[in-house]
Amino acid sequence: MTASSLQDQGRRLLSAMHGAMRALKLYPLENEAVQQAIDELHAGAEAILRSEEGIEVRVVGEFFFLNDVRLRLDLSNFATFGNVGQTLQAHGIGTVEVLAGVGREEWAPFLSLLGRTPGSDPLQSFLGRLSETPVERIEVDAVGDHGDELEEEEVFEQAKRTYAQSVQVAKDVLGDVRLGKAVNARKVKRAVQGIVDQVLADEPSIVTMTTLRDFDEYTFTHCVNVCIFSVVMGQRLGLDRLSLYELGLGALLHDLGKMRLPHELVTKPGGLNDEEWEHLKEHPALGLLHLFQTGGYIDVPYRQMLMAYEHHMKTDLKGYPTNRRPREPGIFSRIVAVADGFDAATSVRSYQHKPWGADEVLREMRENRARGYDQLLVKALIAATGVFPIGTLVILDTYELAVVSKTNPDPEKLHLPTVKIISDPMGVPLTQPLEWDLSTEGGVPGEATRTILKTTDPQKYGIRVADYLI
Amino acid sequence: MTDDGLRSTDEGLGATLPIAEVSELVVTLGKALRASQLYDENNPVYKRFVTALSGAFTGLWGELDQVVLHVQEDTLLLEDEVVYRNANRSESIAFLLFKDGVRLVHFLPGFESQVPRFLHVLNRARHARQDDADLLTLLWEADLDHFKYRYVDLLAEGLALPEAGMGASASDLREVIDEEVRSEPEGEGAQEGAESPPATAARDDFNPTLYALDASDMEELRREIRAERERDVRRDVLHALFDRFEDGDEARRDEIFDILRGLLPAFLARGEISLTNTVLAQVRIWEGSGVLTGEHRERMTGLLNELSTPEALEQLIEALEVGSITPSADELGGFLEFLRGGALGVLVRATFDTDSRELARVLGGAVESIAQRNPGAVVSLLASADPVVAAAAARIVGEHRIHAAAGGLRDLLYSEHEPVREAAVDAVGALQVPTLMGPLVDTLLDPEPAIRIAAARVLGQVRYRPATDRFREILDSREIRQAERSEKIAFFEAYGRLGDPGGIEFLDRILNGKGFLGRREPPEIRASAALGLGRFGVPAARAALEKAEGDDDPIVRSAVIRAIAMDGEAES
Repeated sequence: MTASSLQDQGRRLLSAMHGAMRALKLYPLENEAVQQAIDELHAGAEAILRSEEGIEVRVVGEFFFLNDVRLRLDLSNFATFGNVGQTLQAHGIGTVEVLAGVGREEWAPFLSLLGRTPGSDPLQSFLGRLSETPVERIEVDAVGDHGDELEEEEVFEQAKRTYAQSVQVAKDVLGDVRLGKAVNARKVKRAVQGIVDQVLADEPSIVTMTTLRDFDEYTFTHCVNVCIFSVVMGQRLGLDRLSLYELGLGALLHDLGKMRLPHELVTKPGGLNDEEWEHLKEHPALGLLHLFQTGGYIDVPYRQMLMAYEHHMKTDLKGYPTNRRPREPGIFSRIVAVADGFDAATSVRSYQHKPWGADEVLREMRENRARGYDQLLVKALIAATGVFPIGTLVILDTYELAVVSKTNPDPEKLHLPTVKIISDPMGVPLTQPLEWDLSTEGGVPGEATRTILKTTDPQKYGIRVADYLI
Repeated sequence: MTDDGLRSTDEGLGATLPIAEVSELVVTLGKALRASQLYDENNPVYKRFVTALSGAFTGLWGELDQVVLHVQEDTLLLEDEVVYRNANRSESIAFLLFKDGVRLVHFLPGFESQVPRFLHVLNRARHARQDDADLLTLLWEADLDHFKYRYVDLLAEGLALPEAGMGASASDLREVIDEEVRSEPEGEGAQEGAESPPATAARDDFNPTLYALDASDMEELRREIRAERERDVRRDVLHALFDRFEDGDEARRDEIFDILRGLLPAFLARGEISLTNTVLAQVRIWEGSGVLTGEHRERMTGLLNELSTPEALEQLIEALEVGSITPSADELGGFLEFLRGGALGVLVRATFDTDSRELARVLGGAVESIAQRNPGAVVSLLASADPVVAAAAARIVGEHRIHAAAGGLRDLLYSEHEPVREAAVDAVGALQVPTLMGPLVDTLLDPEPAIRIAAARVLGQVRYRPATDRFREILDSREIRQAERSEKIAFFEAYGRLGDPGGIEFLDRILNGKGFLGRREPPEIRASAALGLGRFGVPAARAALEKAEGDDDPIVRSAVIRAIAMDGEAES
């Protein structure tokens, strides 16, 4: 059965289960409405069992899976799914398995048990009661049996959604600016709220999304990536949720001013001449000016304006725009500057066909003070990304190829990330990438079993690291 | 249809779920929401509804661990039971939640303390315009600990999610190994032993002390974050605008000027007078700097003038009066310094009207300052139809000796409003312009004693001889004999100052003469005549006074003594 037909049938099955549970609550078993509801439920189950070996319904948090297909919630079924999920979880049930050959007569006792008040040990008492019924081909399992794995999957799905939505918002907003329209604050706020939530819930998943490098989408993905890196750094600095939100808003909008410059200038391949460069340097001021068109003046995003305005100023103020009055760029602006510099240098874009390696960029940022980045914030970025950020293509001392997949949270082991090994020493791809924590010690205490020999440019070899991460 | 809590018709369910109570709770929520729209947060009516709603929640915690409601378009459900239905979308709580994507809400114990914030969020969402933050955004920002919700993100529907590709081919990966490692020139590691691979990652990368944040780094960053919180971002934005205005690009200047022009009313509305002053100070510098083109300079001038229009100022005064903005006296004084002549009328009126002595003092100071810089504006104000303003303008004319105001003052001497005439007479006295003395003589017959007295004194001070006949008529009249003592004295003394050659004989007759039956003038008139004689300061007048030195009437005798001592001295 295809995923989409299983999707439809699964949703119908859950709706039927909800209908039958409700009917049983309201009427006696003999009631015609109850019988019809059970008929419908049983027919739904049989339809699935005709093409599937069994039916496994799993509840993970707010999500339902039917045989590993996640059932999409929509406006017509949200409440139904919510009710069924709450009922199952109240009994400590995470999985309901319906085996082939299930009898119609097994549904009523099973559903009746679900309608009863859960015991003090919900799952055990449910199982105890279930064993006293003739139900043989409907089995239940505890919440969390598959939890970690699925939760991780769900978190990743959520990160994808957040990232995709944010890129779309960046497209819409920047497109509007190019058309001379005002910034739609509602969309931007929602996108940033999603990023902040995702960073707080599971930072690696959203940072992984920044490895999705798409030249055509650079303008938009760059804004989102800068937002993500800024929020990640902000979290490292202990900013509260609302401060992260403020920071993220400014970061997402930091290059807004470029949309007021000619498109051909912003996307011109190769280098710019002096005149063009001077023109491009106007984008921070243009960004500030355009943000005055956001909402009414009662809600002027002053702090975000300054992030747009100051993010190229450098700590010694030798960047641009130049200042005629005293100015000290704030820490939010300097965070955005670091995030911007990092993402820009590691990306393929108009002026840069060969991006720097992420580890090289970090090294340059911390060693070359003339770049004008705040050194403490560069450290904060490294604390968040590690020395070898997620998505870095590395060659291990075993000659295996690997992609960095997780940062080591231990500040003393920022150089020892977790990687996904994608090939053997001969370059033969592994059918299933092997996740390996490089801080794992071997036989000699303090000595890692594998270490990074060097990093390399995946683009040079046509390797899309995101394929191994998302 | 109004909010309508529905009761369960199902006895079985009713026994386990407090359907009725939850229905009642939602009805109370609706009422509290309406109250929060109608009243401010300190209003007792609003507070009563908040208390009722909080109490309703508290009452439920004995029966439910949490209140979980499913949100549908027009209904709220507790499990499957409808506890609220309202098809009127402008009123419906269900639709308010539903339209922005909320599908499930959880009220948790402790929510009762967050009721006001929750109502505030709902209110803002209900009145949100198209681009404003919607309910989901507002709920996120409110971050209510005891309220959870689930939603469908309508903005994210239909988005294609990024998916992983197939990964690289074997040949690609082999190429990496071959090029990056096997062809690598043997490095430091290789020299140590043939088995060791070439180590090309930088040594510093493996030294966390070079890049890990230590405690002092974190303390410094925390200090920076505090500084960011305290940063005056608005002033920094203003300075950025000023900097970029001075780049010289004409189109950019237009845009920045429009922004600044838009910011001023926003600042004023919030009572941000200090920021307003920052903008105005810069505008004034630009206006006078000579670096702007004529058009831009005119726009600067226009902006400053616009701020001084009655319409703009009346708004400010109203805000100050009702206390919606409370700038310090220094800030307000600083702002008023930027006002121009056009502001005078409103400020004068406000100075008169306000009950606040402090505000009156600040406004009065501003009036003085503006008047000093704008005498022409004061002259214009003399023609004001508002008697308070016209009178104040006349006083300012006198205080600042604005001679150009003479023409305007002449008309004010005939004003129908007593305070105006009085102020005009004082001003004429201060200016002492000869052309105004003729009209002032007419004022000697003003219906108001105070004005007559003032006019008499002025005419006396300037020794305006053409008024002699009018004085003689008045001093001979029955009216002066019926007047208050102070008026009598003022008129006689003024007359004395005129130095009328026949005046000594005239006053001597009043002081010392007797009538047909030997009757003398009333003592007050005789005493006043004595004081008038005292203003002559000549021997003949003194002789006349000495004749009355031993007068039987103590009032007369006392006045004579004073007059002799005065001997023509100017009145203090």
